[in-house]
Amino acid sequence: MRFGGLTAVRSVDFTVNSGEIVGLIGPNGAGKTTFFNCLTGLYVPTEGTVSYKGTVLPPKPHLVTKAGIARTFQNIRLFANMTVLENVLVGRHTRTKEGLWSALLRGPGFKKAEKASEERAMELLEFIGLAHKRDHLARNLPYGEQRKLEIARALASEPGLLLLDEPTAGMNPQETRATEELVFAIRDKGIAVLVIEHDMRFIFNLCDRVAVLVQGEKLVEGTSDVVQADERVVAAYLGEPFEATPEDTQPATEAESTTSTKGEAQ
Amino acid sequence: MTETTETPKTPAAAPAEQRGLIPLPLAAARALLLVGGIATTASTFLPWTWTSDFPGDLTVNGYPGGLQILTLVAGLITVLFALASYGVRGLGWLLPARNNAPLVLTALSGFAVTWYTVLTIAGELGGIVNWEPGTYIAAVASLLPVIGALALPQDATDTTKEALKAYIAKPDRIPAPQATAPWIQRLAITIIAALALTVFAYGIDAEDELFIGFLIVVVFTSWALHSAGLFDRFSHLTATNRSFALAMGFVAAIAFPFTQTNDHYANLGVNILIFGTVALGLNIVVGLAGLLDLGYVAFLGVGAYTAALVSGSEFSKFSGVQFPFWAAALTGAAASLVFGVLIGAPTLRLRGDYLAIVTLGFGEIFRIAVNNMDGVSGPDITNGPNGIPSIPDLSFFGFNFGDSHDIAGFTIGRFANYYLLMVLIMALVITIYRRASDSRIGRSWIAIREDETAATAMGINGFRVKLIAFALGATLAGLAGTVSAHVTYSVVPNPYQFAGAAPPNSAFLLAAVVLGGMGTVSGPFLGAALLYLLPEKLVALQDKSLLAFGIALILLMRFRPEGIIPNRRRQLEFHETGQLDVPETTTLTDEPAITKAGA
Amino acid sequence: MNTLPQQLANGLLLGSMYGLIAIGYTMVYGIVQLINFAHGEIFMTGAFGALTVYAYILPDGTSMVVAVPLMLIGGGIVSVLVAVGAERFAYRPLRQAPRLAPLITAIGLSLALQEVVRNFYPGADKDRSFPSLDGTHDLGSITITDADIFLVIAAIVCMSGLAWFVRKSRTGRAMQATAQDPDTSQLMGIDTNRIIVIAFAIGGFFAAVAAVSYGLKYGNIGYRMGFLMGLKAFTAAVMGGIGNIYGAMLGGVVLGVAETLASAYINHIPGMQQLGGSGWANVWAFCLLILVLLFRPQGLLGERVADRA
Repeated sequence: MRFGGLTAVRSVDFTVNSGEIVGLIGPNGAGKTTFFNCLTGLYVPTEGTVSYKGTVLPPKPHLVTKAGIARTFQNIRLFANMTVLENVLVGRHTRTKEGLWSALLRGPGFKKAEKASEERAMELLEFIGLAHKRDHLARNLPYGEQRKLEIARALASEPGLLLLDEPTAGMNPQETRATEELVFAIRDKGIAVLVIEHDMRFIFNLCDRVAVLVQGEKLVEGTSDVVQADERVVAAYLGEPFEATPEDTQPATEAESTTSTKGEAQ
Repeated sequence: MTETTETPKTPAAAPAEQRGLIPLPLAAARALLLVGGIATTASTFLPWTWTSDFPGDLTVNGYPGGLQILTLVAGLITVLFALASYGVRGLGWLLPARNNAPLVLTALSGFAVTWYTVLTIAGELGGIVNWEPGTYIAAVASLLPVIGALALPQDATDTTKEALKAYIAKPDRIPAPQATAPWIQRLAITIIAALALTVFAYGIDAEDELFIGFLIVVVFTSWALHSAGLFDRFSHLTATNRSFALAMGFVAAIAFPFTQTNDHYANLGVNILIFGTVALGLNIVVGLAGLLDLGYVAFLGVGAYTAALVSGSEFSKFSGVQFPFWAAALTGAAASLVFGVLIGAPTLRLRGDYLAIVTLGFGEIFRIAVNNMDGVSGPDITNGPNGIPSIPDLSFFGFNFGDSHDIAGFTIGRFANYYLLMVLIMALVITIYRRASDSRIGRSWIAIREDETAATAMGINGFRVKLIAFALGATLAGLAGTVSAHVTYSVVPNPYQFAGAAPPNSAFLLAAVVLGGMGTVSGPFLGAALLYLLPEKLVALQDKSLLAFGIALILLMRFRPEGIIPNRRRQLEFHETGQLDVPETTTLTDEPAITKAGA
Repeated sequence: MNTLPQQLANGLLLGSMYGLIAIGYTMVYGIVQLINFAHGEIFMTGAFGALTVYAYILPDGTSMVVAVPLMLIGGGIVSVLVAVGAERFAYRPLRQAPRLAPLITAIGLSLALQEVVRNFYPGADKDRSFPSLDGTHDLGSITITDADIFLVIAAIVCMSGLAWFVRKSRTGRAMQATAQDPDTSQLMGIDTNRIIVIAFAIGGFFAAVAAVSYGLKYGNIGYRMGFLMGLKAFTAAVMGGIGNIYGAMLGGVVLGVAETLASAYINHIPGMQQLGGSGWANVWAFCLLILVLLFRPQGLLGERVADRA
């Protein structure tokens, strides 16, 4: 992915397997969020593809969500003036198909679908513990609950892969701990999770596998222990001059124009 | 109706820092309110002038007329609120928060309308020699409640300006209403609907001075009811009895032509309904989906021209063709739909601002095109600036809309017939609006308006749902256009422009939506009624109505962007600091409905 | 008269007028992302400002050589005051408001300005005549008037002045910075409010120049003149790539030429015989806008901007 002359993400080959929690870490500006935006179709990669369950995804956010990849945002982007329940119901959009006609005619099918959607949404609100606030406007929730609601909204689209962009940013240790539990619970539902995070302890506790992104390129990938032990990671974080070559850098001739982002589950 | 039995605060119980703007003991203040109210009411039974030249004939002893009736009503309302402040059993519901503002505002209402009348008598008849003793009594009597109200104790403030503001402020907390039996709630709704109909019917018949007096009383009284928290109570009431309230509103709307003896006023009614319905359609586009459509009236025009072309008018290019109305209505709606998609498809992919300008362009192009299609400067289709006149009246199953009919002793004239047809179409559009907004598609419109990026990340195809909203809005406008073509006998290009002296024009419709309240059902109707009636009734305003629209739009956006009837959601959006408005109950089916429909 | 070179020249002249107005849209949009719908009315008030100087201030029979610069100053003062006043009292309080609010304000402002002129300017409820410069010159196969010469010179001077100002002057660079990122610019010590006022003022002045040229060329002005001209100029700004000052001028010229050629020649196309003439010119201009938006939504010289997540 390039913006003008700047290459933000380059040659990141990356696979997430089903039922796995994978962490993506890296210093500020390493291209983590850009990578996310490429995955979810918000940015069109200059080169490369995103495939999910073996099919290549078109770079259109709504189609990516429909295929089964849902996300949250680094700076919370809830529908602030909708209620908690409505926010989750909007998340159900791709899993329901009632159009304008059925909304106007209100046949039995419509009522059934609305009821089913609402039940499903309420289940999710129970799951994250916000059921009692279903009719509050999202903007009035405390910060931590807004983060949770965003996760519930993403889960409502019944994803196979959930992308969390800094889910614990701005949280205190207890809230971070609770989020950890929540992510484990999500994984137990059989959903693969990809997390961007700055909080190392959170990531190393949580993830089965961690990848380190530095200057738009993948530096290391492996279990927590492997990554923690890797001195290049330490160097990158401490800002020491970094001379070692990333393990899968392409030959120089190809590198300037390659972006291969690949997110795979199952 | 809830009855509050708690006793009013006595002066002793009032905190020390409370005092009135005018230093008077509380008992005296209350007494002034009550006595003044009664005296104002009584004064209307005296003659206020000697000559019947003044409109309404204020000369009769023992029988109020014209503006005196308004003073009478204002006086009675003052008395009611004064009694409520005494804690009279059965009236406690009038002052749920027990604040001063309703008392102040009702007193002001009586004062303003009385003094307006008194001064107009002097002004129009040439001096105060035309006053009778009754006039002096009324003038003094109506002043008493104002003095009394301003003497009511109020939390002390630093400046007089703040003190005055506090006197008309709505309290932050209105106590929750006590539970009442459903039949009482329904009775209340019925009474309110009947009252609303009476007020509206009175207002639409009022002319000149009487209309100004009417406005004074309505504005102050509504403000008083609002500050008492009664409007909040009312919307709560309608929310819990939604279908009943809608049915009553519908019945009241149908009953309106039966209150009118002159078909001219039914004409005003039908126009308000047409413009209100079109504005409600625009509200789907602007209020729900957040798309600024500045050429909305062109879709109305497409519908009207289509209906005119297939109406069988001898001036139509297809004069041999006469569709039955249902077919003409469908054709008109379909033609608008086609234009809606043609305009929407290229622009809705882009940033919202482009839509505004492209629709503005389309609106203008529509007018230019129909102006040119006269066979000389363009193809011969629309007859150019002359338009298509003598559109025949509609006729359903032998019921000719052009004739007067007698129904149960009431004569229903031509415009009243169309009025009733429009009520049906209005009901249809309201149903569409409400059903669409409370569904998967409606939620996705609001989501797109709130945050388009997040909405697409949740799987919403932004372009698709925006196009649906835009096309639906266009279709509804086209439908209304087909009726309006028949009502006005002819279609000409001129009314279908962005801004013009006479409605409909896009600026008028947009102003109606913004003034009434974006995202609400009743807002556009209220807005259309106000914007249509004011220039119609106040001749002085007629020439300056566009100027007033413009200034009103600027001031509204600056000071009350949510409009007269705020949609709760919108209100919070525009006032970033708006505090939470958490529903009191958790009854699952009703509360979200309030958020959606506003009132 | 109706030769192709003549039509091209006419289109070019009309286009430079669109371009001058379009500058106002594009500069304001570039900095505050606001479509100033009332800009057409700022153009209109400029024309009336210039007329005031000519009809009510200057003595009768003043030579046009003296009068035109003074009219330019008068029109400029009025337009700049209106533009800056609109910014200060209508738009600035709404800078943090939802997107719809300033747009609706702009529409209200546009209506109010038209009506103020119509109601309160003497004789403005109908078109008022404006001193025209109609001396003609033959240049080979084309004929142009003195007004056209004034327009060309004014457009060239204004554009080069603006180009110099934006590139070289301190304020111009501050302006570019503000357009890129208003928050950061403010942190860097740029007074963003001042920059925005300057953008409105420049737009207003350019509109006044266009307004004087309009009056001199057509010989009459009216309170509604700003509506269509504003709409077309906005179209030009969008076509050129909104936010880009050279794009605005280019868009104006393209639009002007396209419109002139369409109204002159489209009736020669079989099946469209009745769609030529000036009555349809606006329709073609509008169709062109739709086409540009369909195939190059970022405009001729514009860049695509991605939304940040």
